[in-house]
Amino acid sequence: MPTLHPAGGTSRARVAALAAAAGLLCAGGFAGLAPRQGTASSHREAPLISGQPQYDNTDVYAFVSPDKPDTTTLIANFIPFQDPAGGPNFSKFARDARYDLNVDNDGDSLPDLTYRFRFHDRLKNANTFLYNTGPVTSLDDPDLNFTQTYDLTLVRRVGGQVRSTHTLAGNAPVAPSNVGKASMPDYARLRAQAVRPLGDGTTSFAGQADDPFFLDLRVFDLLYGANLKEVGNDTLSGYNVNTVALQIPTRHLVTGHDPVIGVNSTVSRLSASGAYAQVSRLGSPLVNEVVVPRGKKDAFNASTPWQDAQFAGFVTDPELPKLIEKIYKIPAPPGPRKDLVQAFLTGVPGLNQPAHVRPAELLRLNTSVRPAAKPDRLGVLGGDKAGFPNGRRLTDDVVDIELQAVEGELLGKKNDLGDAVNANDAGFGTSFPYVAQPHSGSDVRGARKPGTKAAGTAGRGDGGKVNFLNAGATESTSGGEDGTISLAPVAAAAGAGAFLLTGGLLWLRRRRPSAGRHES
Amino acid sequence: MRPLLTGASVAGLVAALTLGSAVAFGRPSGERAAAAPAGAPAPGIPGLQKRLREQPRDAAGWASLGIAYVEQARVTADPAYYPKAEEVLHRSLREAPGNDGALAGLGALAAARHDFHGALRYADRALKANPYAQRAAAVRVDALVELGRYGDALAAARRADAVRPGVPVFTRLAYVRELRGEVAEARRVLGLARASATDRGDLAYIAVQLGELAWNDGDLGRAGREYAEALRLSPGHLPALDGEARVRAARGDTAGALAVRAGIVKRLPLPQYVTEYGELLESAGRRDEAERQYAVATAWARIARAGGVDADLETALSESDHGDTGDALRAARAEYRRRCPGARVRQCSVHAADALAWALHVNGRDGEALRYARQATATGYRRASFRFHLGLIEMALGERAAARRDLAGSLRRNPAFSPLWAPRAKAALDELGGAS
Repeated sequence: MPTLHPAGGTSRARVAALAAAAGLLCAGGFAGLAPRQGTASSHREAPLISGQPQYDNTDVYAFVSPDKPDTTTLIANFIPFQDPAGGPNFSKFARDARYDLNVDNDGDSLPDLTYRFRFHDRLKNANTFLYNTGPVTSLDDPDLNFTQTYDLTLVRRVGGQVRSTHTLAGNAPVAPSNVGKASMPDYARLRAQAVRPLGDGTTSFAGQADDPFFLDLRVFDLLYGANLKEVGNDTLSGYNVNTVALQIPTRHLVTGHDPVIGVNSTVSRLSASGAYAQVSRLGSPLVNEVVVPRGKKDAFNASTPWQDAQFAGFVTDPELPKLIEKIYKIPAPPGPRKDLVQAFLTGVPGLNQPAHVRPAELLRLNTSVRPAAKPDRLGVLGGDKAGFPNGRRLTDDVVDIELQAVEGELLGKKNDLGDAVNANDAGFGTSFPYVAQPHSGSDVRGARKPGTKAAGTAGRGDGGKVNFLNAGATESTSGGEDGTISLAPVAAAAGAGAFLLTGGLLWLRRRRPSAGRHES
Repeated sequence: MRPLLTGASVAGLVAALTLGSAVAFGRPSGERAAAAPAGAPAPGIPGLQKRLREQPRDAAGWASLGIAYVEQARVTADPAYYPKAEEVLHRSLREAPGNDGALAGLGALAAARHDFHGALRYADRALKANPYAQRAAAVRVDALVELGRYGDALAAARRADAVRPGVPVFTRLAYVRELRGEVAEARRVLGLARASATDRGDLAYIAVQLGELAWNDGDLGRAGREYAEALRLSPGHLPALDGEARVRAARGDTAGALAVRAGIVKRLPLPQYVTEYGELLESAGRRDEAERQYAVATAWARIARAGGVDADLETALSESDHGDTGDALRAARAEYRRRCPGARVRQCSVHAADALAWALHVNGRDGEALRYARQATATGYRRASFRFHLGLIEMALGERAAARRDLAGSLRRNPAFSPLWAPRAKAALDELGGAS
């Protein structure tokens, strides 16, 4: 029956109620419940925010395979902040995107090889929305209702122009999301089935994994002057990502006598017009955040390395050390920062700089440097030339390395900046694809996993010992007079200019608000 | 003239307001509160609020929160989020002057408040700061659409699609195509959006739009399936319930349609929903109950106006048919001024033109009404009621052949486009000698 029946009551009560209703409408000088603001056929309100993390590239890794030194492993991660229990269908690769791993092997900053992943959805039983209908014991288990497969193609270019396209794999299986122990009692076995040898010595993998990046996003809260006691927590602990990984015979990747390759990952998505627009780009970690100012991030995401001269000024005259100087009173190294140009744009001469290099933001790896028997988390800064910024290994502590670099470590200005998170929450594998198993949907998020390495932070969780300015140190080489810099003025001064840092710093790493460019 | 505020309608209005506000304000959103904010692990409005309590200088966080509030108002139809959005978006601009996120948010807010010129200005500023900004591009398309600049809107949507394709752009591109009468293309682009979307709120929105396309073509089966899909994805989704009620009534299930409509006005007694409910009651012969609903719509508009809010298009239409025709014409003229550059242009907001044509008609000014009714139907947008209005205006002017053509056209497109007006269209057509 109709709802708007006349209600009883005296006329005085009605008047009061109407006044109250009118008051509600006019509350705060703004009509509260006004007809104009309702959804209306004259004003179609389409979604302004859409949940679309599938196109978000989070990290790229490139390293000489430690257990197979004649091969190189390339890894790219997507879809950040996957809560393992948050619904596995959400964590699928997009069907309308191209996930590319690009390799420049002649230093001209144009991709010569593009390994392109394209994904397809498969639903065995359309009558259920369940991801799986019973325990899953193999990738072709009928109980695994929703699956994805991928096609892998290799695009070869000469001078930027496509020369040839080869299919390397078709209908290869994607390792499923780790729904939980009841659904997937032996997840490691499922994942092993998704590791695919492709016949030419290349091995491929796509699927869910633990997010291998480790850092304390709150390190930048410290720059705001926030709670100093919470340093040392791996913010990404317990979250999963989607990974694509390739292990490729190095001889397939390099050309001539130059062992240096430049690597990045891009995501392009299909537009309504049928073209592809590049919406995400990532090479070296954090460059998009630490180096490129916020207003240029979308432009950066849409651009190619060949166009990077436009961003060079942000490297030679970086914003971050000036802010740190302003807030923390640590003098910024004088510009122009040729050391950072080498670290971020050209590679370091004698280590990972190609013979004929065009400066561009690429992860540059010298494939002839043998893997370290005992990798140092600080990579080159720690005397381990097999690590970042010579490529990037899963264990490289890029936050500490980059903070130390921007503060002049490469100029001989020793410092020990860091975020007090020195290792990943989950242990990495010793063979391809190396990334840690994804957290299970039946895990409690944030719980430590077996195989977790020691964090290497003596004072972890103990605010008295660990702080922003010494947190990453393994050797005490602080530039301060007594090796210690007082935190007190840091907290006090942190307010000024702090907002600028949000544009440049890590917690934005995952965001990549981006735009694209035709790149067909 | 009948009294505008009878005791019964006042009580009904109060009940509606109280119910509506209680539901709208108190209900936790069944859909996502917002997209993942700029990388913080805790997404949604609570996560952003928490973050901003700790980091009050975070301009991007403030912008995200403001946009999330505007989005929340869209999802819940609760305008209490608008002043909050305004406050935090300005806060974002104070922290980082000229940042495109906050400017896009202010544009979205202006559009939600029907200040479409303001929305366009903000969107342009945001796009100047960041030519790749997706939200700003979406706001720009929305504003151009509402202002009736469909050609410009299409160009803006295509540009946005080229630099940053995705659900927000696809849904807008589809609507521009639909307004231009390019229904097959609209359907195709919504299909792309559906294939790309994972968010249930997005998917429900897309289903409703596909339902509207089917409804406007009189395809009740397809429309019904899409509305049902939207309700499966987002239980209680009001536009989907509205569509379901239309389909039920069109199929002759008046009791079912009445039950759905009663539920809608209980949740959100906006004039358009109240009027639809009233028309359904009237078509079922329950005229007294219908009158009460119309009075609620009228009272609502009066209270809103007293609060400094102009009447909406729906109010103009509702007043034309069931209220004060003078008020209807004033509202329609005001809306037309806002959304159309002038009577002489061929292209203009079809909704504003239709409302003005109809308000002129019910005021007996059919000579003036005709050109606006033609404007409303000139783009090819498939809306049976627009064609019906044109037909009746032509009939009043003695243009019998044109009237027959347009009345028959409205019924051919969707024979059950309205429980109240479709039978009147048939009757008028019969009076003219039938559909030839």
